[in-house]
Amino acid sequence: MAATPQLSVADQIRQLEGARKLVLKDVSYYPQVIQATLPIIGPSSQVEFRRWGSEFLAEAFATPAVPLSSKETLSLVVLDTLKSLVEDPKQDVLVLRGVIQAAASIYPLAMRWIVNPEPRRGDPLDISRNMVPPNHPALDGDQLEAEASGLLDRMLSALEDETRDVHNPLAGRMQQYVERLVRSRAEIFDENGRKRVMVDQTSAVEAKRQRTATLSSQPQIEITPLKHGENSLAEVFTFTNNEAPLAAKISVRTIAQLDTEILQRAIGGVRARLAAFHEAHQQPINPETAPLDVEEDDDDYEPDYYAAEDTEQLMNKLDSSPSDERRDLQAPVLGALTLPAFKLPPPPTLDPEQAARVGQGAIARVFGTMQTLEDPATKKSKAGLNRLAASSYDRDSWITVITRLATRANAGLDEISVKDEDSALALPTVSMSDSIRELLYAYVLEDFRKRIDVAVTWLSEEWYKERVQQRFTSPPGQPYDAPANFEKWTLRLIDAFLPYLHSQDKILTRFLSELPELTVSILARVNTLCRDPSLVNLALTSLYYLVMFRPPVRNIALDTIQDIWTEYEDARPTAAKYLQRWRPGFVDAAQQGARGASSTPVGTNGAVVAT
Amino acid sequence: MEVANGASTTTAPVANGEREDQGGYKLKFCTVCASNQNRSMEAHLRLSQANYPVISFGTGSLVRLPGPTIHQPNVYPFNKVSYDTMYKELDGKDHRLYTANGLLNMLGRNRQVKWGPERWQDWQIGIPRTEQGKDRGHAGTEGGIVDVVFTCEERCWDAVIDDLLNRGSPLNRPVHVINVDIKDNHEEASIGGRGILDLADSLNKAAKEERDIMGATTFDMASAASRMSFDERVPEIIGEWQERWPNLPATWTLAWF
Repeated sequence: MAATPQLSVADQIRQLEGARKLVLKDVSYYPQVIQATLPIIGPSSQVEFRRWGSEFLAEAFATPAVPLSSKETLSLVVLDTLKSLVEDPKQDVLVLRGVIQAAASIYPLAMRWIVNPEPRRGDPLDISRNMVPPNHPALDGDQLEAEASGLLDRMLSALEDETRDVHNPLAGRMQQYVERLVRSRAEIFDENGRKRVMVDQTSAVEAKRQRTATLSSQPQIEITPLKHGENSLAEVFTFTNNEAPLAAKISVRTIAQLDTEILQRAIGGVRARLAAFHEAHQQPINPETAPLDVEEDDDDYEPDYYAAEDTEQLMNKLDSSPSDERRDLQAPVLGALTLPAFKLPPPPTLDPEQAARVGQGAIARVFGTMQTLEDPATKKSKAGLNRLAASSYDRDSWITVITRLATRANAGLDEISVKDEDSALALPTVSMSDSIRELLYAYVLEDFRKRIDVAVTWLSEEWYKERVQQRFTSPPGQPYDAPANFEKWTLRLIDAFLPYLHSQDKILTRFLSELPELTVSILARVNTLCRDPSLVNLALTSLYYLVMFRPPVRNIALDTIQDIWTEYEDARPTAAKYLQRWRPGFVDAAQQGARGASSTPVGTNGAVVAT
Repeated sequence: MEVANGASTTTAPVANGEREDQGGYKLKFCTVCASNQNRSMEAHLRLSQANYPVISFGTGSLVRLPGPTIHQPNVYPFNKVSYDTMYKELDGKDHRLYTANGLLNMLGRNRQVKWGPERWQDWQIGIPRTEQGKDRGHAGTEGGIVDVVFTCEERCWDAVIDDLLNRGSPLNRPVHVINVDIKDNHEEASIGGRGILDLADSLNKAAKEERDIMGATTFDMASAASRMSFDERVPEIIGEWQERWPNLPATWTLAWF
């Protein structure tokens, strides 16, 4: 077992591994092996040994194969070593990790050992400040709590200390995200192009082509040279005598059925005309309008089917153009080949009232679409990482779109009132956000059991938006009074569906556990359920679920259970059972108080709180 | 054009062959599917061929294998019947049928990998696994814990997370639980196995890099990417892997043993 200095590090680690295998086969060797290895893995040893040792100790105190009583004894042996390892400010990170894991496993054992409570009942690893008697010689409950919250603060501050500079350790990751976004954007453009070649469409075209194939045994097209003088672009591309409006009407059908040979011939014809034109006019290319990949001295015009500029280049070009006017169609393409100017007629002006009405119409259509998309047959068209929200056009996508429209689209604008000349309100009286909310509210309630996920998505968006807004608009140190839509609509929804709940409903438990935040007023609504004796259990189990699985709201959930105990006689047996575990003494104190005063048992929240 | 799975995988293919053991640090893996027969066993084999420590489980209530009709499946309890017994039983029942549907081939492979199907929920995490020395991928799993769990179906991922929550994390040890969605047939299982091995390689590379940085001083001098701990890098690594394997949708979370 003893590692002799002549052995290499690798050989010594192999020896240590041999010892580890021995204890894994028979855990009764742990005390001996730990005793023997402690000197090898101490703070002054090489990092390989410290890593091995801290992992070995983490494993020893984690494994359920060793009885807790033995772990308790062993912990006294290793604590000094763990302490000296963890206190080295330059300690290796992986050593630290092992030490922390070991310490985390030892903590409950050590705590129980120090407190030494007489009856050892329940889960021995379950520890609480409540176990520390008030006058304990070594442990001060308040001090423990202060230490714990200090530690928690330090851990959480790691999440907040994020400075945005190039030295930020996350800079690389941010860069990766940006690149991924760019790629997603390129894919979106790419996909738009792809849509036109859907399988069924091509096969339809092919079917038609078969019918027309016999007709076009020889390409029916006559290629004439361009006439001299000025030619418009349209004339360069024209081989028929059709009037332009007629050509426009039939172009889609014609292109769909076009014979490849005719097309090739026509393209060849246009190419020949342009080549002839180039020879006649050897003019420098206008760099402002020429495609980016055409060199000035490159007169070998090769049209292809790909965009001359990729998305990135287009974006750059658009970004760097000084004004919008430059992008219109008036700029001549090539010397004399001018494209006639075309301008869309300006849209009719909308007054705010009309704009609001049109907006509502659009929203109503989205809801209409959502109705038809109920029960998607192809759930999860794309799963996995690197997804884009709302990209699958199913019901979930539309819900994402509509909830974000409601919560984010005009966040912060709702509160601004614009007045016109007569200082009458120029904006419509109902904001678009609120009308979407009304529609969402109605949509959820139409079938709240099935659509509770929509409610949760929506309210999570509300909550998220409020958090973000709070963070970016409030001056430091001052509370921000953003419109509290999250709580308002949560309460409205709860109020609306509470009357329909029955005693076996799991929907309430689910709703409460999935909401991003719970407040005293939300839980107070649950309290009102107890007016119906058949719903007492539902209310209490939903609250108890929160007590067990949502520690951040444990206290307000327990307060609510206390309130229920106080207010509803029927609920007392169950409520008392739950309170017994988490707030032992409350029920006794409350009953004593009732006996003593023989008036109303207990006051409001937390008036009688046992520790 | 739809990108084929693993289009730009750079690692050398490991068709049926063993990979040479490079030594060095190795993450410990666990593969999980419903019956611990097809997808998890394919991945178990692949990972063991690449010399990774690996164990495997199923999350179902029973081991279910197709029978002569959809209403007559062959059902076995977990942990009690070996792959070899199943092989012999099905071979005796209907050699032609079970050869044609690939079951004998699958069971034949499985019995070369380990003794029999194990149920996730019955796994005593942290109890030493010293008795399974003959299993493929056993070396390194003696401590009875793993660093990464691969599930092959979202249902199994849910079951694993749920079970870990119920156990109450007594071991204080983090574990990455990654779902790689694989359809339950032989062909997809083979593709999925390759995908999982590629992901395992990427993860192990990052874990090795973390171990190459020693002490706090060098830690501060390292570049931003390598300064991040292995655990922090996992989501990024899966994201990059997902681009190589777009048809194997992945889900990830950090859980605790």
